[in-house]
Formats: sequence, structure tokens, C-alpha cells
Amino acid sequence: MLSEKAVKEIEEITTRYPVKRSAVMPALFVVQKEYGYVTEEGMREVAKILGLRPILVFEVATFYTMYNKKPVGKYHIQVCRNISCSLLGAEHVVGIIERKLGIKVKETTSDKRFTLSEVECLGSCGTAPMMQINDKYYESLTEPMIDDILKSLK
Amino acid sequence: MATVKINGKEITIDDGTLILDAAKTAGFDIPTMCFHARLSKLASCRVCLVEIVGQKKLQPSCVTPVMHGMEVLTESPVVKSARSSMIELLLANHPLDCPVCDKGGECELQDITFKFGPRQSPFGDNKRRFNEEDYILSPVIVQNANRCIQCKRCVRICAETVGVGVLGSIERGAKTGETSFVREYLDCDHCGNCIEVCPVGSLMSRSYRYKSRPWDLKGVDTVCVYCGTGCQLTVQARKDEVVRVISKPEEGINNETLCARGRYGYSFINSIDRLLVPMVRMGNTLEPTTWEDAVRAVRNGLSEAINKGKKIGGIASSRLSNEELYLFQKLMRGVLKTNNIDSGSRWDTAAVKTYAEIMELSKGGLSIYDALNTDTLLILGFGISDENPVTDYIIRRISGNKKMNIIMASPRGMKLDNSAVLSIRHNPGTEGVIIGGILKLIYDKNINSLKNLGGKDYLKDLSKEKVSDITKTAWQDIEAASGYIMASNTITVAVGSDVLRVPSRIEFLRMLIEALRILGKDVKLFPLFDRSNQRGALEMGVHPDILPGYNFIDGDGLGADGIIDAASRGEVGALYLAGEDILSDFPDGVFAREALRQTKFLVVQDILPTETTEFADVILPGSSHAEKDGTFTNGERRIQLVRKAIEPLGGKADWETICLVAKALGIKNMEYSSPSEIWDELAGLAPMFAGVNHKKLEPDGIQWPCPDIDHPGTAIMYTEKFNRPNGKALFNFREHIASAEVPDDKYPLILSTGRRRQHYNNGSMTRRSNAIFNQWPEESLELNPFDARRFNIKDSEKVLASSRRGEMEVKVHVTDRVQPGITFLAFHNRDALTNLLTNDALDPVCKIPEYKSCAIKIEKLNGHK
Ligand code: SF4
Ligand code: SF4
Ligand code: SF4
Ligand code: FES
Ligand code: FES
Repeated sequence: MLSEKAVKEIEEITTRYPVKRSAVMPALFVVQKEYGYVTEEGMREVAKILGLRPILVFEVATFYTMYNKKPVGKYHIQVCRNISCSLLGAEHVVGIIERKLGIKVKETTSDKRFTLSEVECLGSCGTAPMMQINDKYYESLTEPMIDDILKSLK
Repeated sequence: MATVKINGKEITIDDGTLILDAAKTAGFDIPTMCFHARLSKLASCRVCLVEIVGQKKLQPSCVTPVMHGMEVLTESPVVKSARSSMIELLLANHPLDCPVCDKGGECELQDITFKFGPRQSPFGDNKRRFNEEDYILSPVIVQNANRCIQCKRCVRICAETVGVGVLGSIERGAKTGETSFVREYLDCDHCGNCIEVCPVGSLMSRSYRYKSRPWDLKGVDTVCVYCGTGCQLTVQARKDEVVRVISKPEEGINNETLCARGRYGYSFINSIDRLLVPMVRMGNTLEPTTWEDAVRAVRNGLSEAINKGKKIGGIASSRLSNEELYLFQKLMRGVLKTNNIDSGSRWDTAAVKTYAEIMELSKGGLSIYDALNTDTLLILGFGISDENPVTDYIIRRISGNKKMNIIMASPRGMKLDNSAVLSIRHNPGTEGVIIGGILKLIYDKNINSLKNLGGKDYLKDLSKEKVSDITKTAWQDIEAASGYIMASNTITVAVGSDVLRVPSRIEFLRMLIEALRILGKDVKLFPLFDRSNQRGALEMGVHPDILPGYNFIDGDGLGADGIIDAASRGEVGALYLAGEDILSDFPDGVFAREALRQTKFLVVQDILPTETTEFADVILPGSSHAEKDGTFTNGERRIQLVRKAIEPLGGKADWETICLVAKALGIKNMEYSSPSEIWDELAGLAPMFAGVNHKKLEPDGIQWPCPDIDHPGTAIMYTEKFNRPNGKALFNFREHIASAEVPDDKYPLILSTGRRRQHYNNGSMTRRSNAIFNQWPEESLELNPFDARRFNIKDSEKVLASSRRGEMEVKVHVTDRVQPGITFLAFHNRDALTNLLTNDALDPVCKIPEYKSCAIKIEKLNGHK
């Protein structure tokens, strides 16, 4: 069950739109914040609050990669693999992280601290290569920087 | 009008016509995949691309309308190559496992590839794969996601037409696939329409799985036997076994859609317990015998009743064909000299007369599409989504595309409520008072114009409080309904048989119609029938007071309830039941059982063993609708052909059996070579059918009146105005009479009964179809969440439900389809013995058994035992 606070938040979001159904995307982010990923129960609850058939919520949740459909670690590392970042060594960035954490893309460390994902352009091409960890951007990455960043995240 | 050139051929066509349709008119076939004529437009597959001279890019013809002066090429080299590339892309990820795919031989992708596609596939990449294995999506659907071409027809039909909306497209790009929420096992309507529209072998029917190839099937076009909508369908058999039912896109009012009963309710035809051999009672048991002996026994039994001067009665099911019903009444009236004849629905004579009059049945009626050409549609006295599912689809689809106010009035919620501007919930059996309330409001605002309204005095003491008190409906809802009605020019009133229970209240409906007509509104009437040939039964004279062709007589005959009543007093010497399982139809099981015991001689002609057949002295095997030719008349008075798919399994069609009995009784003029000959005889008796014959009924049936052979039939009836002189109508008006049993402290809940979408009547046919029966393996009692809390009962919990007459254990289904204080149980399942729970008091006014309500209580099982 979503917490009362989360339900309130979703209800508040619906008031911003002329039709409730428009609130489905921000509502799913509330669910993601609550559970760490978009759960089946969470999608059902969103459907209920917005008066939608559950399949419509499921369609939206699976369409966008920014909704996690599986649990992720405490730190979700999303490395941009789109063109600018790739030209400046995104593949290399992924390789370094994989080596340092001992996991492959789409995997989570056994201590549940890190999950590594590859994503499309995050709109920060000017400072490529880059990655996003939870809500924060880390730009113009080099190997020592990656080292420091990972160390700082305990 | 627009004049366009298609491949050099000039045609003039309506503005806004799609290029696709214009090309078809001009004689050019454009392939399509995602397009579906009666669904919203998607234009995603691009298989239908055409070249418009002067435009650089090719355009999808399935969404692009013609414009005056347009020049279109559908077969130019660039179109051909683009089209073939589009097909190549569809095939790029398609498994091409046609040899093991159920769709092989009737697959649209196979067909267009063969006709228009590339002859090669240069793609070297691995094909996309969702699941290695096919998976079961619902009791009727098995899915192979790899074969899906993302046309979304299934998604659209489920949401837009069926109104369930449980399918969707998940993921994106190359990974897109159609499935259910989290791929869960579906608890939907199980109508199979998604399977029907899937162009490839992605959604497949579980019951037809690996059963046959289409070219090995023999099919006939016929009419569904399950309700008054009268959908056309094709029954397909392999050897002599019916293996599936399909529907054709352009045939019937249903156009490719069917409901679960129509599509999957066929297994009973080849059910192992079909009655195939005639049986005659020897002491306590029924022994198999020959047709000759059985018919002789029938003759002896009937003759004895005649000789002893005892009453004879006949009840014929309204799922028999018009021809059979006509013969049955001819046998009863002409040979056995009795008017004691009825069809199973047991409407009192007065009630039928009133309904027939108010709904103007003898004048004809109008087609559903004309009925929906209206500003306001009021649906009353009928669980339309459950009783006539395809009518529900048609209303949803049409109302989705145009502005129309739908007002629903019913005791129990249903699917169509989602399409309604207003859903009025009322206490069971108070439909007339709802109408009275609406009428009162309209009358009060138009006293001057309505000063001659017949029966207006009855409105005097119909106060707002009184209406709300009887109906338990908020007055605002009644106000809203009258507001919508008054703001409309055209109002369609669709009324089902529930209002027939008390004809006194139905007078308000007569008054409302008259008032609206006086006020200059166009009022269209649309009767709704639950059984497939209910209208036919009335038209064929299977009723004590109606002769074929709506010739009303003031006879001395008894209706079904009267016959059973007389039987219980030992007055009935012989009773002939054709296709009627009277015991499960009668709400009071105990009483009707006793009546059959008291009946000296009972003939039951039926296809399946029922509780009633156990009481028979002679059983004559009946024939299912798939085993004979004939006609059914649907609710909109369309006469449609029922055709034989397989030979009668018991050796004889019902009409042949009735003729045999007549012959045994020494009657000469009841020998026919075919049902069409029977039809010709009856058409000669009723002017409205005079111009109809079987041949003329192809392919979509004819709506009577059709007075002569050159007449095309009548699609729209309402050109005539209301012709009764104002204020002179005969009124037979009685006050609202409360249900025979009202809830009290001891039995605090109202039990209402009715049917479920998946079942038909006693369920003897539908329960034999595994695809359907699986969906309701156990009957459950619907209970509002409020009451569930009040009695501390959880969903799925088993409880003891009891009335003043009996008790039963039953599972509870907590749902807001029912209002607080009201519970619901369907009467399809013998095991549920709903009958014992309902009220045996016949309604004091019209003697319609109180199907709808009695008082019950529910108790937790553990506390009780
Ligand atoms: S069977 Fe009918 S209700 Fe169920 S998914 Fe298919 S179309 Fe929808
Ligand atoms: S399952 Fe069939 S109908 Fe549905 S999108 Fe796929 S191909 Fe089209
Ligand atoms: S709506 Fe009625 S006629 Fe049509 S398929 Fe269903 S049961 Fe048969
Ligand atoms: S390409 Fe990496 S941020 Fe745009
Ligand atoms: S049929 Fe026209 S785009 Fe699919």
C-alpha cells in the first residue's frame, strides 16, 4: 500500500491537470520514490486513484525507461550511451564501473548498493561523457573522477 | 461529392470517403493490416500506402480522405515497392512458423505476403523473441507474442467495442507487444472478439487449438441461439463435430462481434449427454425405444387426455424456430383444440398485451441503427450488458462516435454505465415509478400543453417523496433524466421485459410516450428481448391470446403459469414441453415439481437431460439450432435464416417430430418437405409476412412488414404519428404494489436474480461449453462492500444464505455492482438452487413470478455450524 502521504501527493498532482489521467507520469514517479521501483501494486493504486484501467498505467510504465520495473540498489548509476557520450568514451566509462563494482550492466551489487544501467541521451551532451546517479549529474568523466565518486557513495 | 481518378478510372463519391473505400468502389483492392472499419484509426502498418499525384510522400489510404480532383495511384511501381517493403518489415520479426500456427490458411499476413509481398527476406539479424512458449492469457485465449504485428486491433476492439479494455501495448520500439496488465491471466468478458480481429496467429482460441485447418471445415451461416439481439454467425464443423463459431465482418447487425455465449456456447451440441434416443417410461425408469413406439406413446397419452376431457397444455421454448413454433401452435390449437399454449417466459396475457401495445410490437419496430440515431437513449428494465451483450457493444461503439445521452435505469450496475451520462439505480421492480417520476416533472412544467394527457390524474399524488421512497433513487437523478429528455428532439426508449412484472406501473410509460409526442418530440421505441426467438414466439402465436401475426383473441387459454397451476390441482391430463426446462424456469421449484408429478402424461422434447426430463413419460430427442433449417426473428423484428450445419443427431429435427405427432393423431394437413414450405403456409396467414420467403432472407434477413414478394422489407417504421385520440386511451391503472416480500430485521437483504453475460437461462446449454463454464465454475452471491463490512464477510467467503423458504451455502462476491441492501444471484446453475430462495408468490397483479426480489439473510458459516 502506498503511504497516506504518497496518496495525498498523487491526489494533489491530479489537481494540476484538466483531466486526471494526465497525472499518470508524475504519479508513477511518486510510486518509484516510495518503493524504489514501480511495483505492480503501485501501478494498480495509481490506476485506482486516477480512475484508469490498470493496463493503461502498465503501458506508460513499460514505455519509459526511467521507470524502474525491478528493484534497484541504493545508488542507481545510469550511464549515457547516446552519440556524444559514446564518441567521448561512454563505453569506457561503463567498462570502468563494471570492473570496479564487479557487476555487468543491468545488475545490482550483492550488497544492494549499486545498480548499473545504460540509458539514452540525458541532455548533457556538452559535458560528455556523463552519468546520472540517483538525481545527480556527474559530467566530463575521467577514470580518477569515477573512482572518487564511487568511493564517496557509501 | 468529390470526383477522383483512381488508376485512371474516374469516380464520383461522397466527400470524406477514405481513399481505401473509394478504390474499392472503383474496383481496386488495397491491402491493409492495422485498419479495421469499425475501430478508431491507427495507421501504423503502412501497408496501405498509395501515391497521390502531385504529393511527394506516399499516404496511408486507410486514413486519408479523398479530395475533389485527386488523382490516386494504387499500383504504381513506387507504391508496389513501398508496399512490399512494409510487408517485408512486418515479416522481419515474424516467426514464419506457419506450419504449426492455427492461423495458417486464413492469416491476413500470409495472404498479403502471397499477393503483394517480397519473395525474399534479406534480413540477417536474429528475430525478436518475447516468449519461447505460447502462454495462456485467459480461459479462452492462448497467445503467441512473437507472431504479433502490433496492429492493436485487439486492444481497440476490447476497449472501444466490448468496453472492457484489459489489453494494451507494452514496452516500446521493436520490443512492443500486446498483452494484459503484468501479463496476468485475464478475468474479462471472454468474448473472443480480440481473437476474431487478430489478423495473425498471435491471439488464438484455446478451444479451437490444433483442431483443424480452415479448408477442412464445413460451415454454414446461421443465427445465434442465445438472445434477442440475433447475431449472425458461422458454425463450422469438421466431420460431424462442431469445432468453432466465427463471425463475418460484413454480415449481420453484429458485424464480426459476438459475445461469449454466441462464440463459445456450442459444445453442448456434441455434448456426450445429448438425448439421442426416444425414451418411454416403464414404471420408475425411462427406457430407450424407437421413434415409432415413442410417437405412439405420445398419441396414446394425448388421446387419453382428450377422451377423459382433461386439460391439455403446451409450452414451447423461444429458442425453437418460427416454423417449429408455428407448427407447435397449430398442433395445439388445430389438433388438440386448446389455447393452453405459451412460450417459456410466462408473461401474463395482460402484461404481454400492454407491452405489445405500448411498444407497438404489432406495427413492427425499427432497426437498432435507426434506434440509435437519437439524442437521448433511455434504457430501462433490462440488464442489457448481460442479456444482449452485442447490443451493448453496438450502443457503446455508436455512442463513442457521436453525441448521444444514454440514461440507464436498473437495479444493478453494468458495463454500459460507463457510456451513460446518467445511471439511475433503483430498487428492483420499481421501473414504472421511475418513469412516473420523470413524467411527473415533465407534466408539471407543461400542464397547459398536456391538459388532455390520458391518465394524468394518476400523477396527482405521485409526490417527489413517494417516488424516492419506493424507488430508493435520489430525486436529483430523476430530475436530471427529465432534463436530458426535455432537451432532446428525438428520444429512444428501449425497454426490456423486467417492466412486465406489473403492468399497472407500465402505464406510466404509455403516458410518458404520449406526453412526449404531444410535446412534439420524436419518440422511438425499441423492445429488448432476452431469448433468441422471443419475438418470433409471439408472432407465431405461441401465446394463449395471440394467433399468428399478432391476431389478438380473447381466448380461454392458460399461460405457462396457469397451466402449471392447473396441473398442481390435478386438472392437466397431458402436457407437451418442447425445449422447455420448466422446473428451472419456474422460480418456485417445489411447487412446479409437484405440478409435474400431478400431470397425468408429460411429453418432453429436448436436446439435453434436465431436471424436467426426469419427470417425463415420453422423451423425444430435440435438435439443436445447428441441426435444422428455419428462421428466428430478433428484437428488431428481423427475420433471419437459421441453417443446418450437421444432420440432427437424434435423427429428427423438431419440426419433423411435431409433424410425426400430428400424423399419429390422424391429421392429414401437417406434412411438409422442408421448413421453407412451413414458412410459406404461415406467411399466407399473416399479411405482414406475406412477401417473405426463405430465399429472400439471404444474407442479412428482412425486417417485416413485407406485404408482397417485390417488397424489400421495412427498415424504418416510425413515419406514422401516435394515433390514439388523446385522453381516450383505455387505462388499467393500479397503484404501485410493494414486492410480496420486503426486507425486515430478520431478513434484512433483498435478493434479486437474473442472468450472467456468459450464461443462458437454466445454463443447460452454456454449462456444457467448457470455455464458458470455466468462467463461473461456482455461482456466487453478489454483495455490496458496505453490507460486507456490516456483516463482517470477506470476498470469496462461503456463507449460509436463507430465506423464509429455504437455505443454501454460497460463496460471496463483494462488488459495487449491487447497491447496499441488495444482493444478486444468477439462476443458471442448478446446483445453486436459486429457485428455492425466490418468492413463490405470484405478483398480485400480473402473476409474473417474482423473479426479482425476495428477502434473505446471510450468516457466517463457522458461527452457524
Ligand atoms: S476476450 Fe473480449 S474482453 Fe477479453 S480481452 Fe478479448 S476482447 Fe477483451
Ligand atoms: S495480438 Fe493480434 S490483433 Fe493484437 S496487436 Fe498483435 S497482431 Fe494485432
Ligand atoms: S449478443 Fe445475443 S445473439 Fe449476439 S452472440 Fe451474444 S447471445 Fe448471441
Ligand atoms: S549523448 Fe550523452 S548526454 Fe546526450
Ligand atoms: S492499414 Fe493503413 S496504415 Fe495500416
